Amino acid sequence: MDDRLLLIAIGALVGVCSGLAAVALNTGLHFMAGALSGLRAHWWLFVLPGIGAMLSSLFLEKAIREGAGHGVPEVVYSVSRHGGLMRLRSAFSRLISSCLTIGSGGSAGPEAPVVMSGASIGSNVAQFFSLNERQRIALVGCGSAGALAAIFNAPIAGLVFTIEIIVGEWSARNIVPIAVASVAGAQVSRLLQGNQIAFTHLRFEVGITATLAAIGLAVVTALVSIALTRALRGSHHVSGKLPLPFWVRAFLGGCVVGAIGLVLPEVLGEGYHSIRQMVEGSFAPGLGLVFLLVAAKIAATSFTLGWGGSGGIFAPCLVIGSFSGLMYHRFLEMLWPGLSLVNEGCFALLGMAGLVSGILQAPLTGIFLIVEITGGYETILPLILVSALSTTICHAWEPASFYFRDLVEKGQYLRPRTDAKVLADLSIAELVETDCKTVPRSMRLGEFIRVIQQSHRNYFPVVDPETGQFEGMIHLDDIRPYLFDPLLYETVFLEQIMETDVETVDIHDELSVVLARMDAKGLFSMPVVSADRFIGMISKATLLDKYRNELMVQTLH
Amino acid sequence: MEMQMLHIFRNTPLGREMLLQSAYFCKQLEILPLIYIPDYVKFLMYFENDVVQVDLDASYLKAPDSAKAHASEIIQGMGLPQPRFFTPKHFTASTLPDLPVDFDFMCCPRSISDLSSKIGLGYIGPRVRRIVKSARFPVLIPSAVYKPWTSIAVLFGGSSNAVKALRLGIRLSRRCGLPLDVFSHPENRSQKDYENIIQEAGLKDDFDNYVRTWRISESRPFQENLYEIPHDALLVLGAYGHGLIKELLFGSTMEIVQTVTPNSMLIVGPNYRAVI
Repeated sequence: MDDRLLLIAIGALVGVCSGLAAVALNTGLHFMAGALSGLRAHWWLFVLPGIGAMLSSLFLEKAIREGAGHGVPEVVYSVSRHGGLMRLRSAFSRLISSCLTIGSGGSAGPEAPVVMSGASIGSNVAQFFSLNERQRIALVGCGSAGALAAIFNAPIAGLVFTIEIIVGEWSARNIVPIAVASVAGAQVSRLLQGNQIAFTHLRFEVGITATLAAIGLAVVTALVSIALTRALRGSHHVSGKLPLPFWVRAFLGGCVVGAIGLVLPEVLGEGYHSIRQMVEGSFAPGLGLVFLLVAAKIAATSFTLGWGGSGGIFAPCLVIGSFSGLMYHRFLEMLWPGLSLVNEGCFALLGMAGLVSGILQAPLTGIFLIVEITGGYETILPLILVSALSTTICHAWEPASFYFRDLVEKGQYLRPRTDAKVLADLSIAELVETDCKTVPRSMRLGEFIRVIQQSHRNYFPVVDPETGQFEGMIHLDDIRPYLFDPLLYETVFLEQIMETDVETVDIHDELSVVLARMDAKGLFSMPVVSADRFIGMISKATLLDKYRNELMVQTLH
Repeated sequence: MEMQMLHIFRNTPLGREMLLQSAYFCKQLEILPLIYIPDYVKFLMYFENDVVQVDLDASYLKAPDSAKAHASEIIQGMGLPQPRFFTPKHFTASTLPDLPVDFDFMCCPRSISDLSSKIGLGYIGPRVRRIVKSARFPVLIPSAVYKPWTSIAVLFGGSSNAVKALRLGIRLSRRCGLPLDVFSHPENRSQKDYENIIQEAGLKDDFDNYVRTWRISESRPFQENLYEIPHDALLVLGAYGHGLIKELLFGSTMEIVQTVTPNSMLIVGPNYRAVI
C-alpha cells in the first residue's frame, strides 16, 4: 500500500480511538456532575474541589507515576525533540486525573487532557507499526485532532489547532491524514453523543458599529489573556515554593477554588452552562458582578492548575472570554446608552475567540472553534478582527504563548525546518573530526614542524601521552614568530608556546549553544573534550555541510 | 572516540557493589564510566521507536551529599580516571528528566524498576527488558556480588541476536585479551547448522582464532547445561530469541540464565549495533 494511503488509514483509526477517549471523558464528567450535584448545597463541601485535585495529583504521581503538567506542552515537546514518542500511560492518565479535578468542581477544561490522550494513542499506534519519525508525528497530530474534534464536535477546529499548535507545519503530507482523523473523531462523537453543537446557534445581525467595537474588545481580551497567563505562572511559582507535599498543595488550591465557588458558583467546573446563558443573552448579573467573575475565574483557574490539579486551559479561556465580552458590551452600553450594538451574546462569542487566540497565540484556532461550536458564520468579520488583534497584542507583551513559554525558555520549542530544529537534530558526535594529530607538551619545535608538514590542519591539540588528558592547543599562528629562526627549533618546547586557556566543547553539548559560543568568541573551530580527554575538533565548515544535508532531509521528507 | 558506559548510581551498599562491577567492566574494556546520580525517582529514555520510563525506588535518592565522593572513590580505586557525572539537560516534565541513549554500554541492576528486595531473585525488571529490546547498546546486568571475570562465555543458540552476541563476544575477547568459550544447546539444529550460521555471518575466521572451546550439549536440559559455564566468566547472550507465546509460557532465556548462573551478563538486544 502507498505510504500516504497507509498513513491516512491508520490516521482514521487513531481518530476513532481518540474520539472514543474524548467521549469517555465527557461521559465521566457528566457522571461526576450528576453524582455530585445533590451535594453542592452544603457549604462545607467547598473542600470537594480540594479532594478532587488531591486525588488527581496522587493518581498521576503515585499510581501512574507520570510527571504532571498541562498536557499540551508535553505533546509539543515530544514532537519537537523526540519525533512524537509518547508513553502509553499518557493515553489514559490525564483522562482520569482531569475527570477527578473537573468533576469535583476544579476550574479547568477537558480539552488538553484529551489532546494528550489522543496524541499518545497516535504515538503508540505509530510505535506498534514501527513507523518512521515523520509518520509518527503525523499520527500524534491525528490523535490530537481527533480528540479535539470529538470533544467540541468541531472537526475544522481540531485540524487547525493541531496544525497551529502541535505540529507547527502546514504541509499536505500532514494535513490530509490529520483532516481524516479529525472527521473520524467528530463522527464518533456524533454517533455516540448526537450531533450537538456546544452552544445554541443564534442569528446575530452584525453591523459596522459592532465590527468597530470589536477592536476595543480585542484590546480587552488581550489584557485579560495576559493577566490569565501571568496569574497561572505566578500561582505555579508560588505553590512550588511552599514546603508542602504536592498533594497537600493540590488540596489547598482546590479548597480555595471551592471557597470562591461558594460565593460565585459560575467559576466551578468547565463552566459551559454560564457560556450558554451568556450566548443566549439570559445571563442576569450586572456589569460589576461580571467584572468580578472575570477576576474570580482567573483566580480559580490559577489555583486549580497552578497548585496541582489536572486539566486544560481551553474551557476556562472560553468562560473568561465570554465574561470579558459580556463585560465589554455592558460597559459600552453604560457609556453610550443609545448605541445600537448587536446582542450581548455576540460579544460573548467574540470574547471567547479573543481569549483563546490571545492565550494560545493561534488566531485560526480561535476563529474556527467559535464558528463551529456556535454553528454560524454571521460573526465571522468581527471574529477575525478580534482574534487577529488579540493575538498580536498578546504577542507584543508575551512573545510566547501560554503553551510554549516554558519550552521557549528552555530552548525546546523547535519547529520543522527552522534553524533551531536543524541544529537540534545534529549532535556533536556526528560532527566531530577525529583525524587530528595530537602532540605532547614536551615536543621540540623542530619536531613539531615535521608534524605540521605531514598534516593539513592548522590546529594541534596538546595531549598527555600517558593519561590522554587534554592540556591545550597550538595554532599555526602561535609558532609563526619562531618559524624562521632555526636556532629555536631545538630550544623551544611546545609547552612554552601552547595555549592552555582554550574554549572546549563537551560531546553532549547542544549544537546551538556551541555555535553561539563560536560566534561570541569569533572562533571557527573548537576542541571536543570529554572527561578531560581530547575527542576531536568541531568546525564551522563541517557544521555547515551537515547543516545543509540535514535541512535537505527535513525539506524533502 | 572513547566509549562510555552509563551507570545509574545508588549510594547504598548494594549500589556501590553494582558500581564496582561496572568499574571492573570499564577497566577490562578500557571504556569510560559515565555516572548518573538521580535527583528524581523517575526518568525517561527516548529510543528510536520507544520511550521507556524507568521508575526507581527511593533508595536511589539516598545520601546525595556523599554519592559523588563514594562513586569517585570506587571508580578511582579500580585504577580508572576521575569519572564523569551526567547531568540531565532536558526534561519532559519538571520532575522527569530525559536521559540520552547514545552510550556504548549501560549497566542495569537485576531490576531497575521494582523494589530492591527483588534484586538477586532471578527477576529482570520489565523496564530493563524494554531497554534491552530498544537499545543500540548492550546492557550489563551484573551479578549480585562483585566478582572479577577471567574469561568470556557466549551462549550461542543460532538466532540473529545470538549471532550478534557471538560477534560481541569475539570483539570483547580481542579487546581485553581474555579467552572465549561458546556454549550451545541445540534444540532443532545440528552442529553443522550452527557452523553454517557462523559461516554466513562472516565469523568463521574470528571464531576459529578466538574461541577456546565450543561446548554443544544436547543430552541434558538447558538449565543443567548452564552449570558448565565458568562461574567467573562474563556471560554474553542475545535477548528476544524466543517467540512471544513461548516466552510467556516458559519464561525468557534471559531470565532462566540469570536464575541459574551467578555470572554477570551482557545482553545484546535486537537493535544492537556493534561499537567495539
